[in-house]
Amino acid sequence: MKHKLVLLLIVVVSVLALGVGVTAAQDEFNWRAYEGTTLHLLLNQHPYQQALVGELDKFTELTGIEVTYDVFPEQNYFDKVTIDLSAGAASTYDVFMTGAYMIWQYAPAGWMEPLEPYINDPSKTNPDYDWEDIFADLRNSEAWNLEAGRENLGQGSQYAIPWGFEANAFMYRQDLFEKHNLSVPQSLDELVSVAEALHAAEPEMAGIVVRGSLNWATIHPGFMTMYASQGCVDYDENMIPQMNSPCAVEVTSKWTDMVRNAGPEAWTTYTWYQAGSDFGAGKAGILFDADILAYFQNQPDTAAPEVLGNIAWAPGPLGPDGALRTNIWIWSLAMNSGSQNKDAAWYFLQWATGKEFLTTGAVDYSMVNPVRASIWENPDFQAKMAEQTNYLETFNTIMANDAKIQFTPQPLFFETTTEWAQALQDIYAGADAQTRLDELVDSLTLQLQDAGVIE
Amino acid sequence: MHPRLRKALTSIFSDGFLIIYFMFALFPILWMILVSLKSGTELFTTQFVFTPTLENYQAILFGDPRAAAGVVARVDFPRNFLNSLIVSSGAVVISLAVGVPAAYALARYNFKGKETLAFTFLSFRFAPELVVIIPLSLIYRQLGLYDTYFGIIWVYQLVTLPLLIWVLRSYFEDISPDIEQAAMIDGYPWYQIFMRILLPLVRPGLAAAALLAFVFAWNNFIFPLVLGASTVQTVTVSALGYISSAQAFFNRMAAAAVIASVPQMMLALSIQRYLIRGLSFGAVKG
Repeated sequence: MKHKLVLLLIVVVSVLALGVGVTAAQDEFNWRAYEGTTLHLLLNQHPYQQALVGELDKFTELTGIEVTYDVFPEQNYFDKVTIDLSAGAASTYDVFMTGAYMIWQYAPAGWMEPLEPYINDPSKTNPDYDWEDIFADLRNSEAWNLEAGRENLGQGSQYAIPWGFEANAFMYRQDLFEKHNLSVPQSLDELVSVAEALHAAEPEMAGIVVRGSLNWATIHPGFMTMYASQGCVDYDENMIPQMNSPCAVEVTSKWTDMVRNAGPEAWTTYTWYQAGSDFGAGKAGILFDADILAYFQNQPDTAAPEVLGNIAWAPGPLGPDGALRTNIWIWSLAMNSGSQNKDAAWYFLQWATGKEFLTTGAVDYSMVNPVRASIWENPDFQAKMAEQTNYLETFNTIMANDAKIQFTPQPLFFETTTEWAQALQDIYAGADAQTRLDELVDSLTLQLQDAGVIE
Repeated sequence: MHPRLRKALTSIFSDGFLIIYFMFALFPILWMILVSLKSGTELFTTQFVFTPTLENYQAILFGDPRAAAGVVARVDFPRNFLNSLIVSSGAVVISLAVGVPAAYALARYNFKGKETLAFTFLSFRFAPELVVIIPLSLIYRQLGLYDTYFGIIWVYQLVTLPLLIWVLRSYFEDISPDIEQAAMIDGYPWYQIFMRILLPLVRPGLAAAALLAFVFAWNNFIFPLVLGASTVQTVTVSALGYISSAQAFFNRMAAAAVIASVPQMMLALSIQRYLIRGLSFGAVKG
């Protein structure tokens, strides 16, 4: 009996010891497993990239992995990415910056490494990584099973890791709203009337600025947010384009009327830059675009004196059913499937999207908006953003509602959405909304048929 | 009307027209200089009255302290400027070394396939760069030429060499063979004839062609964008970096453009003498 007790004790102790041993091994994630490797990054000229470059030494110090990087201006960044990725195994870069929409073009071509095998492997991912801390809607917006259709987003493989993002919001000049007794619009009709009233009260300035150039990027910020909130969809479950539905025609014609009556004169040339700088220079009273665009404009070296400090944020107007469905843009990091150093590249990815770097980026640099929920609770970050009127409140409202990519994933996204922008321009120039949108739907249907997306 | 008065009036009109045209032609440069002297907050005003500042020049040449915080784009302008100088002059020097003898041969000798060869050189110029850029980029990556000075100088031959060969060929054709034969009778070996007689005669053409080749190389965008990266990034590519996602710093970009146009202007002014003569003089007329 005594022997048995001793034996039992030995067994218990050794099992415990083993357990402790295993836990200790897990705790000590080996950051130096790929010491001596060199990684090449392809980066877009961007505040996020500058935060990364500023902190890169810390990664090399931690892992012993050397990192070189090439930075290209955003104007031509994606040309560069496309050409490099198409070189396959001969390509130069292991990790690159990308937007979420680009996944729909790059992943079907086999250029992006699926990342869930790395994320889910405890031997490859450090225990503090906390994948779940990244907003679920952002994670899901970058997972795809390569099938066209709304329900396929968030399925399949994780092709990129969210790094920083933009939620589209209603940004306005608080001083002018107070002066002219205007209030933040709660519906599409109110949006139109507030923009027109502001323009009437301040004839020197545009009531509202939104993007309008012949580019897919015209659709995705304010317009898509209003379109989605209103309850319209881009494609139905059979991938039939829906831009001519009664809902879509209403949003489109009210939107183009608003721009014609209260928007900037050269609207059809307006990109992110014109929209942002007009707002920052005091040439427009409302900006319906990415929330961070007005944040960057609300800085001492860019804002006109009367603008600085007078910008306030609010969520976009609601749909008829009271819904707020915000479209987002996500800057992300992805791995080149042609990389020769995939495991080391994953070390870089988990560091660059990890809590420590992203918190430093958000607090000490300009990595807004952070993709991790924990950073929004960080008091230093909150204090920094509290200087921007209602920024945090607006963000929280947006995220508590439906904030995700409101587009339907499909491989022809850029072509079809640019054509959509063309239709907007034509309607702005006087074409009948219903007729023009019918034409658009016919044309897109044909293209999707040719590409085999619909039968 | 008195003839003298008429003459005076004509000259006033022609001078006036010239002055107006001069202002019209130089206005973009003036505007660029004005924008480069504006601060961020005055950038979008359209008045000519503003408080000039050298802050943009200071920022692009010596770095911007605010770049560290990530709001302001960081572009290593001095380095990119040097890169532009290296690759553009390198490309012109190689084109001269190869192109001058080639132009002479095409002008003077008759050999099989001469016109085909000359046309092939010309075709480098009129084939759009975008057509060849993807295969070139694959080849460059496999050969290890991606992002190297040699690689960019080499690919710039597509820009500079045809221009040089075709301009100089017509200059050599204008020189009468009599001059060479006379020199031969005087006992000059062929290389001295080439160096001492022919080269001085085509010097105006040489200067004009080399300047144009330099300007085209300097302005090239797509080759350094696709085939180069941070090591060889030129001004044309990096200047776009002043349009960062956060803001568009058109004032910095203008300052960069002002500095980047200095070498071309200096070159053009220093060889102006040849440029004018190059257009009007030939060695033997008729």
